[in-house]
Parts: sequence; structure tokens; C-alpha cells
Amino acid sequence: MFLTPEIIAIYTLNIIFLFFSIFAFIISINIVMHWNVNRTDERQYGLEKKSILVATIIKFIFILKLPLFIFFVFTANKISGVITGAMCAAGVVNSISFGLWLFVFKILNLFIFGFWIALHNMDTKDEQLSLTKLKFSIFIVAFMLLVIEIIYEISFFSSLNIDKIVSCCGTLFSVASSSSFSFIFNIPSSIAIGFFYLIFSLLVVFSFLKNEPLFLVINIIFFITALISLILFFGTYIYELPTHHCPYCFLQQEYYYVGYLLYITLFIGTFSGISGSILSMLNRKNRKDFYKKSLLFNSIYVAIVTAYPIVYYIKNGVWL
Amino acid sequence: MIECKNITKIFNQNRHNEQIALKNINLKIKKNELTVLRGASGSGKSTLLSLIAALSRPTKGEIIVDGKRVSKMLENSTAMFRRENIGFIFQKYNLISTLNSYENIILPTIPSNPNEKELTRHVDTLLEMFSITNKKESLVKNLSGGEQQRVAIARSLINNPKIIIADEPTANLDKKLSLEFIKTMQKLKQQNRTIIIATHDPLFFNLNFCDNIIEMKDGHI
Amino acid sequence: MKINHYLIGFAISSLFRRDAKSFFIIFIFTSLIFLLSSILFISNSIKEELFITLDSLPQITVQKLQAGRHANIEISRVDKLLKLNGVQSAIPRVWGYYYFENAGVNFSIVGIDSFDKQYKKNFEELVENIDFDELEKNDSMIVGEGVKEILSQNYYKDFFNFVKADGELKKIKISSVFKSSTVLESNDIILMPKNLVLDIFGMSKLKVTDIVLEVANPQEIPTISQKIKNLFPDTRVITNSDLRVSYQNIFDYKSGMFLALFVVSAFTFFMIIYDKASGLSSEEKREIGVLKALGWKIDDIIKIKFYEAFIVSFISFLLGIIVALFFVYILQAPLLRDIFMGYSRLKPAFELPFILDLQTIFLLFFLTIPIYIAAIIIPSWRVAIMNADEVMR
Ligand SMILES: Nc1ncnc2c1ncn2[C@@H]1O[C@H](COP(=O)(O)OP(=O)(O)OP(=O)(O)O)[C@@H](O)[C@H]1O
Ligand SMILES: [Mg+2]
Repeated sequence: MFLTPEIIAIYTLNIIFLFFSIFAFIISINIVMHWNVNRTDERQYGLEKKSILVATIIKFIFILKLPLFIFFVFTANKISGVITGAMCAAGVVNSISFGLWLFVFKILNLFIFGFWIALHNMDTKDEQLSLTKLKFSIFIVAFMLLVIEIIYEISFFSSLNIDKIVSCCGTLFSVASSSSFSFIFNIPSSIAIGFFYLIFSLLVVFSFLKNEPLFLVINIIFFITALISLILFFGTYIYELPTHHCPYCFLQQEYYYVGYLLYITLFIGTFSGISGSILSMLNRKNRKDFYKKSLLFNSIYVAIVTAYPIVYYIKNGVWL
Repeated sequence: MIECKNITKIFNQNRHNEQIALKNINLKIKKNELTVLRGASGSGKSTLLSLIAALSRPTKGEIIVDGKRVSKMLENSTAMFRRENIGFIFQKYNLISTLNSYENIILPTIPSNPNEKELTRHVDTLLEMFSITNKKESLVKNLSGGEQQRVAIARSLINNPKIIIADEPTANLDKKLSLEFIKTMQKLKQQNRTIIIATHDPLFFNLNFCDNIIEMKDGHI
Repeated sequence: MKINHYLIGFAISSLFRRDAKSFFIIFIFTSLIFLLSSILFISNSIKEELFITLDSLPQITVQKLQAGRHANIEISRVDKLLKLNGVQSAIPRVWGYYYFENAGVNFSIVGIDSFDKQYKKNFEELVENIDFDELEKNDSMIVGEGVKEILSQNYYKDFFNFVKADGELKKIKISSVFKSSTVLESNDIILMPKNLVLDIFGMSKLKVTDIVLEVANPQEIPTISQKIKNLFPDTRVITNSDLRVSYQNIFDYKSGMFLALFVVSAFTFFMIIYDKASGLSSEEKREIGVLKALGWKIDDIIKIKFYEAFIVSFISFLLGIIVALFFVYILQAPLLRDIFMGYSRLKPAFELPFILDLQTIFLLFFLTIPIYIAAIIIPSWRVAIMNADEVMR
């Protein structure tokens, strides 16, 4: 086991999160069981006050989780210097069998916590607080997911082993790999790219149609196809190496940290699309500006990834 | 506009220091009326006012203000209700003494993130109206009692409330300033506001523009 | 969402209005952040310095293990190692630690040999400059500055009596002193001809301490070290990158220990803040009551408290880091750096190189500000839900 300062920081924050979220969890169960706007007793008024505490706690956790995600990648990158064979975060994350799951949970939880806050903001504008029960039921699920993530994270760092030689991203993200990623390498990249642009055009169309369910679904699909096409195709142009498919390396300085820009725009774009659509379905009066926001950020993402192969082609006159 | 039905307020219920502050109060105040609540100290005037403003909830009974059942509202909504409907002038003014007049006056508007230009214009008219323009930047603790009083009135008007609630507004003022205050109230009434004043100052007891005088005694009307 | 600058302004003004309290918290928090950042800065700098040193270390070191412990290795193995493909040079080294009881310090004695290519660039220059035969003939040595100082404190001005393995004394003259370059470790070094070292340590002439190899292509280091293992199963093969990893570990571990202590003090701090944030003066309570009566929601009050906390912690954060930068890089971290330099009093004779990376700032941020904010969540909420009807009394 390792005890670097970074890991201690992550542990400390996890303990704080755990403490507060358990607190919030208990209150949430109470609210789900006893909340009734028509009741006018002390308990109902007490629950209302407690619900504000829970919301504050959730906002606190979410606001920290955003930069912590980046910090986690930073830390994994740094540890890669110590683990033989690992060249970037990918090697470190994949040196543990559930490393990938940790990542999936991290992203999922960011989406869910972000969505919860958006839902909460909508709810507090309503005098009857009619979404309160739903809101806290969602938090009960979110709490479980958070606990799973924290358990994964703690066991992840404590089972890192510096003596083990791991594969670097070059072999992890390749056709020959047997990792959980490998299935995507069976997709021909031309199909993946075609699909990616097709989904994006549908996203553009749906954002003008302003149909929430369609927009919701297309955003989810867009998120997945964007990641797949990034690994299969666009990534290789960022590295200018036809065989390098790693989705972490471009978070490093050599590539001007472009990965952060890509992931952040993709996150904002799809997040506002997904959460905006759901909120709109729940409440017809919800503002419709999420279409524009989602379209804007997703387009920025598409523009950046598209620019890489085009610039490469202009400079070199050939495709990779 | 304001309706109280069978209001009872008991403090520290079921404890040794139980205190019945209001008993079975029924009350109706129409829009644009000026009401004076009179009664000795401890008769329950302030308690009644705080119930109407939804600062606390009655033990029994119901209060309806402007069609809203404020006695049953959730805390969040009561804040919004006060912000939008009620202007407060407190017994001890309750200004924040380490802030200046301007900062005190804008306090009620801060949470709704006001537009800077409109706010400044509004504050300036109020300062003008109460002739305290030259005290705009002075700390409240350095103002005289009368000036503090006027800052407090200006603050109660900054949100353009329909209802103005004043609790013993003239307790710390001399006769001249009290008369001035009464004139201001008359003006406010002309602007179609509903006003409730709790006081035991005899100056208020035979005003010609006063619509109701409600006499309180030991929590009764 | 538009930023409500009135709310922020109100938070700032309420900090100013309670300046004694704000100042107290900023002071404690700044000290805490200062301590933490100093520790991280020092450990980063020393790590950096060590890595520079490591770069000049041999790519591969071959040691013999006997009964699981380091033993001297046969000199005959040098030729066999040289025959391996890719090995450019193999140099036998003779060195060891000599404990000088009077001063309670360890010297590193390194044997030099005019024929052997020197494995370390700094020594190379020295050996060229110095007349080797002279040293050999007169039984003399070259010492590092730190060694010279310790010896003269013990009245050895131009010679030193080594106690040999068999208990006899061996008198060796100090022929000259070499300047320690920036390198961390050269301060405690004594250079003398190999034969003298063998004599002092009572080692066989057929054996050496270890053998260091130079490899033409650094990429081949892992394969070559594997081959050596196969060739001599009784050896331990240490590569440059192994060392780097273990150094990094030692330092991460050391700063980790400090951090563990820090976390404890941070929780104490947490309690202080919790207490300060819960204990309100009646003036503050009245103020919050007034705000609520004027239509502020619970959320608005909590927001104010958060803004205050963020402003306080951010100011402390900046102050703490700036003071730490000054303390570590301009004052060269008196007191604190000794803890990191470890065992030998001879070690510290270099400047801490300046490094400040985003990652460390990030780390400092996560270790401090969230803890502060977490400490005020519940007290702020408690304050915000207080009944407002008190203001009518
Ligand atoms: N929070 C409280 N807890 C306990 N008793 C209270 C509380 N608030 C008011 N009371 C009691 O209720 C009664 C009515 O008080 P209230 O403040 O309404 O009187 P008032 O008419 O405003 O008097 P004054 O003219 O002195 O302001 C008093 O006996 C008072 O002690
Ligand atoms: Mg009173």
C-alpha cells in the first residue's frame, strides 16, 4: 500500500464525504417516509429545514467532486511514474481489476449529483415543493452509488502494487488487448466515425425539434459514441500515431492538456442535454435554454475533435 | 386582505413556563385600511404582528393574508411571502448598526439580486423622501434616533410592500418626530398600502385617517 | 446564473464587522496551511535534488547476496559481465561506511583507481586533477568539505587515524579537500586509493563491494539485468529506475507521515472552527433574525456563511502559501529541512531548488479549504434555521 500525500488527501475527503452523506442519507429516508406538504405539524416543518441541510451537503460534495475528478487523474498520472510499465493514468487504473469500474462510477456519480442539484433548484422555485419526495428518493440511490465509488476508490489505492509490472496504455488500448475495453476495437473506425457524425446531426435536428425524450436519448448515445470514436479514431490524430489509442495520455502536458477541454465540453454538453430534458419532462414550465447550451458545448466538442484530423491532413497531405 | 380566525398562541406549551399570549382572536382587516393595535405591555401586540407576518405560526387557528394561508406555509415560502408583501418597522428599529444607511435600506432586496441601476434610483428617492440623503454613507450607529427611524421606514418600503407592519414605532421618539411619523403613515396610506401599527402611544388613538382601533388586553381583543 | 454581488459584498462586510474573530481564524488557518505547504515544498525540492543526483548514478549496479545480505563480490566477474551484449563498461567499486565515534557520524569511503574509468562524473574530474601516484605513495586521501570540518573540530588537521578491521591504527594524510557540487551526497565522502580502502575495511584483494555497469542503449536495461540474474543467481541487480522508485517512495512516505500528523491537527482545527461557527454573539443572532424577518431564506443565510468561509479560507490559503514560499526558498527552511534530511549531520549543504507545480497547489487546496468549509456546514445551517420571531421582542 501507498501513502502519498495525494492519496491521503483523497482519503480525507472521502471520509468527510462519507460522514456527511450518511447524515444526509438518514435525513433523506425520513423525508421519503414522512414528507407531506399538507401536514402542518412540527415534524413536517422540521423536515423542511432538514431538507435544506441535505441540499447544502449535496451541493458541497458535488462542487468538490468536479475538480477532484481531475485531481484523481493527476494522481494516477503521478503514480504511473512509480509503477513499472505504466506510462499514464491508464496503466495505473487498469493495474487493478476494478479500476475501470471506479472510473465508470465516478462519471456516473458526477452526472447524478449534478442532476440532483438541477432538480433541487427547480423544486425550490415551486411553493408546494412537489418534487421533494422524488428528489430524496433519487438521493437515496445516489448515496449508494457514492458509497460504492468510495469503497472502490479506497480499495483501489490500497491494492496498488508497485512491484507488479503493468501494461502501458499502448497495449491496453489495442486490438490485441484482452481488457474490458477491447470489444470496441472490433468496430471498424469508419463506421464509428460515420455513426458519431450521424448522431451529432440528429442531435442538432432534435435540438430544433425541441422534443425532450428524443433529445435525452440522443444525448446519452452521443456521449457513448463520442467516447468510442475518440478512442478509436480522433485520439490517434491527437497523438499523431496510428496505434496509440489511449484516452488518458492527452490529459498530459505534452498534448497541452487538451483532454481536459474535450472531456469538460463533452460533459457540459451532454449533462445539460440529459438533465434539462428530464427536468422539462417533470415540469412543463421549466426553461428551455438547455437545448441551446447542450448544442453549443457538444458542437464545441465536435469542432475540436474534427479539427485534429483535418489539421493533420493539411500539414501532411495524408491520413493516418 | 388580512383575516385571523380563532387564533391562539401559546408559548412553551406543556411546560412549567407555559404562556398563553393570544386567545381566540378573530380579526379582519380590509385592503388599504390603517389599523391601530393598542394595549398595555405584554398584551400580545407583537405576537399578533409576528403571526400575520408569518414569522411564527399560531398554536391554533388560521391566518389568511392576500388569499394565502400564511399560518400553514413552509418556511421557504414564508420568506418569499415577507419579501414580496411585508414592510417591517420594528420596535427597536433593528437596523444593523455597523452598516451605513444605504446598506441597511437595501437589505431586503439583496437575496433577489436586484438590478443595480433600478435599486440605486429607488434608494435615492426614498432617501430624498425622508430627507436623509446626506446620511446615505453614515454608519447607522452614528445617527440620531429620528434618523434611524427614517432609515427603518425607508427599508420597509424598498420592496414596495402591500402591507406595512409597525411595532411601537414611536417608542423612542419625541412628540415632534412622532407627529412626523404619523404624517408619513398618512402618506403611505394614500399610496394604497395596508398598515398595521401596534402602539400604546395616545397620539395614535384619535387619528382621522385611522380605520380601526383594536384594543388588546391579556391576549384578547 | 447571475452572480449576486450584493450577497458577496454583504459577506465581505460582515467579515470586516467581526474583524477580531475573522482575524483569529485567518491566523490559525494561515499557520496551518503554511506548515503544510512548507513540508510539501521541502519534500518536493529534495526529491528533485535527489533525482538530479540519481541521473549521475550508474545505470546498473550488481551486488552479491549471501544469506540474504549484501556481500563482497568476486572481481573475476567483471570480465564475464563485460562479455554480455550491450554492456559498455563494467567497473568494480570499493566503498563503505566508516563510523567516526567521536563525532557520531558516518563517512562514506570510496576507493579510486587511476586505471578504472570512474563511474561518477564529478569524481572523474577530481581524479584527473590529482596526482594519483602521490596519494598512493603517501597514504593520503581527499575529503569532502563536511568531512574536513568534522575532522578539524576533532583536532585532526592534516591526517586521520582510521581503526582497521583488525584493530590496528592506520594513519592517512589529508591531501586536499574537494568542493561539493550541488549534489546532496558528496559532502560526507572520502576518496582514497583502492588498496587503502581494502586495507582499512580488511577486505580480500580479490573482492570488491559491487560492480557498476554502463549500457549503450538504456532501453536494454531490463533485459540485461535479467541476463545478469540468470548468469549469477546469487546477485542483486539494481537499476537506476529502481532507485528512483524507491526514493520517490521514501519521500512520499515521509511526507505521508507528516500528512497523517497534519490530518490530526486539521481535525483539531475543524473542531475550533465548528465551535467558532456555532457560538454566535447575541448581536449576530439578532442580525440573522432581522435578515430572516426581512425575507431572507434559510438558503440565503447559508450562502452568506459559505461566502464568508470561502473568502476566509482563500485568503489564508494565499497567505499561507506565500509565507511558505518565502520560508522555504528564501530562508532555506531552517529547522524543518533537517527533519527531511535524515540521519547524517553532514548531508545538508545545498540550496533547495525552486519548484512549484500545479499539482502541489491542487493538493494543498484539497487538504485545506474543503475541510474548513465542511466544518461550517452544520453550524451555518443551525444558525440559519433559528426562529426569527425573537426580533419582535
Ligand atoms: N418567545 C416567547 N417565549 C415566551 N413567551 C413569550 C415569547 N414571546 C412573547 N412572549 C410572552 O407573550 C406575551 C405577549 O408578548 P408581546 O411581546 O406580544 O407583548 P406586547 O403587547 O408586544 O408588549 P410590549 O408593548 O411590551 O411590546 C408576554 O407575556 C410575553 O412574555
Ligand atoms: Mg411588543
